[in-house]
Amino acid sequence: MQNAVLVGLSREVALERELSVVANNIANMNTAGYKADGSLFEEYLSSRARGAETGSRVSFVQDRGIWHDMSGGSIEHTGNPLDAAISGQGFFVVQTPSGERYTRNGSFQLNADGILVTSDGYEVVGDGGPIRFQRNDRQIQISPDGTISVREGTSIQDSQRGKLRLVNFSDLQQLHKDGKSLFAAANGVQPQPVDTMTTVVQGSVEKSNVHAVVEMSRMIEITRSYAQVAAMLQQQADLGQASIDKLADVPA
Amino acid sequence: MRALLTAATGMMAMELNVQVISNNLANMTTTGYKRQRVEFQDLLYDHVSRIGTQTSTQGNILPVGIDIGSGVKTVGTPRLMTQGTLLQTGGSLDVAIRGDGFFKIQLPDGTFAYSRDGSFQMDQQGRIVTAQGNLVQPSITIPPNSTGLTISPQGQVSVIPQGSTTPTVLGQLILTRFINQAGLLSIGDNMYTETPASGTPQDGLPATDGAGDLQQGSLEQSNVDSVTEITNLIAAQRAYEMNSKVITAADQMLSTASNLMH
Repeated sequence: MQNAVLVGLSREVALERELSVVANNIANMNTAGYKADGSLFEEYLSSRARGAETGSRVSFVQDRGIWHDMSGGSIEHTGNPLDAAISGQGFFVVQTPSGERYTRNGSFQLNADGILVTSDGYEVVGDGGPIRFQRNDRQIQISPDGTISVREGTSIQDSQRGKLRLVNFSDLQQLHKDGKSLFAAANGVQPQPVDTMTTVVQGSVEKSNVHAVVEMSRMIEITRSYAQVAAMLQQQADLGQASIDKLADVPA
Repeated sequence: MRALLTAATGMMAMELNVQVISNNLANMTTTGYKRQRVEFQDLLYDHVSRIGTQTSTQGNILPVGIDIGSGVKTVGTPRLMTQGTLLQTGGSLDVAIRGDGFFKIQLPDGTFAYSRDGSFQMDQQGRIVTAQGNLVQPSITIPPNSTGLTISPQGQVSVIPQGSTTPTVLGQLILTRFINQAGLLSIGDNMYTETPASGTPQDGLPATDGAGDLQQGSLEQSNVDSVTEITNLIAAQRAYEMNSKVITAADQMLSTASNLMH
């Protein structure tokens, strides 16, 4: 009978963690380039515990992992020339102190030296290193393949300032979130070049791909299952209580 | 329960979002105002089980990990320095900038500020000043009783002095450019000052070296787009509501758990 309580407990712990994941998704509903998370559960068989009559094994639940929903978010037009959204699969590459990171958040800025950076000041990696603008550059254009061109001074000719490096991964679940809208690749996972279907949209930002309705229904499901499991635990406790009362009820 | 704190970060972020949106809306008709937006990022993740860790001595690795996020944070409220539409006013000292650059303005303490607001006036000595009475750099004095004040697209200020029929050039307005305009510090009164992030100011003539040209008799309107702001406001309000629902849910679960014991 103790097993029932412990199985229930394993479910409650897993549900609490799932609620944390849902809460994080909802908190990041308006975070540019955010990708929603989901929990994966699996059956965990106990090696010793067995049912008394049938001999079937007792199985617990555990959350095995988190998967990232890598579908594209909606693309919002901002009109800011330094905003870039990726249409299709792929990531921008960002140089951080702890190595290369990947992001779908293309709300870029310039720093005091004229280098293209993220909101945190990390340099955006181009095909030939960081992308540097000159003081008299104007009319920044980002073409669908990521090439950045400007008009220099009063010139009417375009001059190129670099090309945004876009990468993709064969298995997107090999990426883990590193905070600050950045993804890090697991050890040994190498980025691949993107296919030709991936294009960069200038003047737009990719919104978070969290679906409010889905998260709300998941949240309701979590609270209801939690209450159900709690009711089951209560019944188990009552059962225990009743048996103690019955057995201890020695006629005088 | 972590969900409570996570949802709280979401509510705080949305509160800030509404604050910035309301400031944009309040400045919808402010000359030369540039709209701000809030940028959010996800907070640190707790790697409960890290992706790629070995699960056996045979080299099996975890294909997925457990990363639990802890909410959202605000990284910045950058200004979008896009061009505002020009409104024709007919005022001879109203100047709008078409393109990049800022007017250079001397503050009372001798330091410089920069502004896109070109609704200039004359002070008692005939000098060109801003609506707050700060001197526009370089200082240009308009002689009394002169007529036909003209400001050319290149920034040349000329008048026809009293008793003359030919215009005389009084001076030259300059425009200051920054490599990172979004890095300027807003000090109110439509003015910005230089910061380490903006880069050093580059003074230059209008219509040269990437700077915009000037248009006399016009003012640059705010670049706030009411439809965008209202849409963002609705989204922010709904997000706030949903975060509060998460708090309710977490609270219910905690109360279920505490009701187990009686």
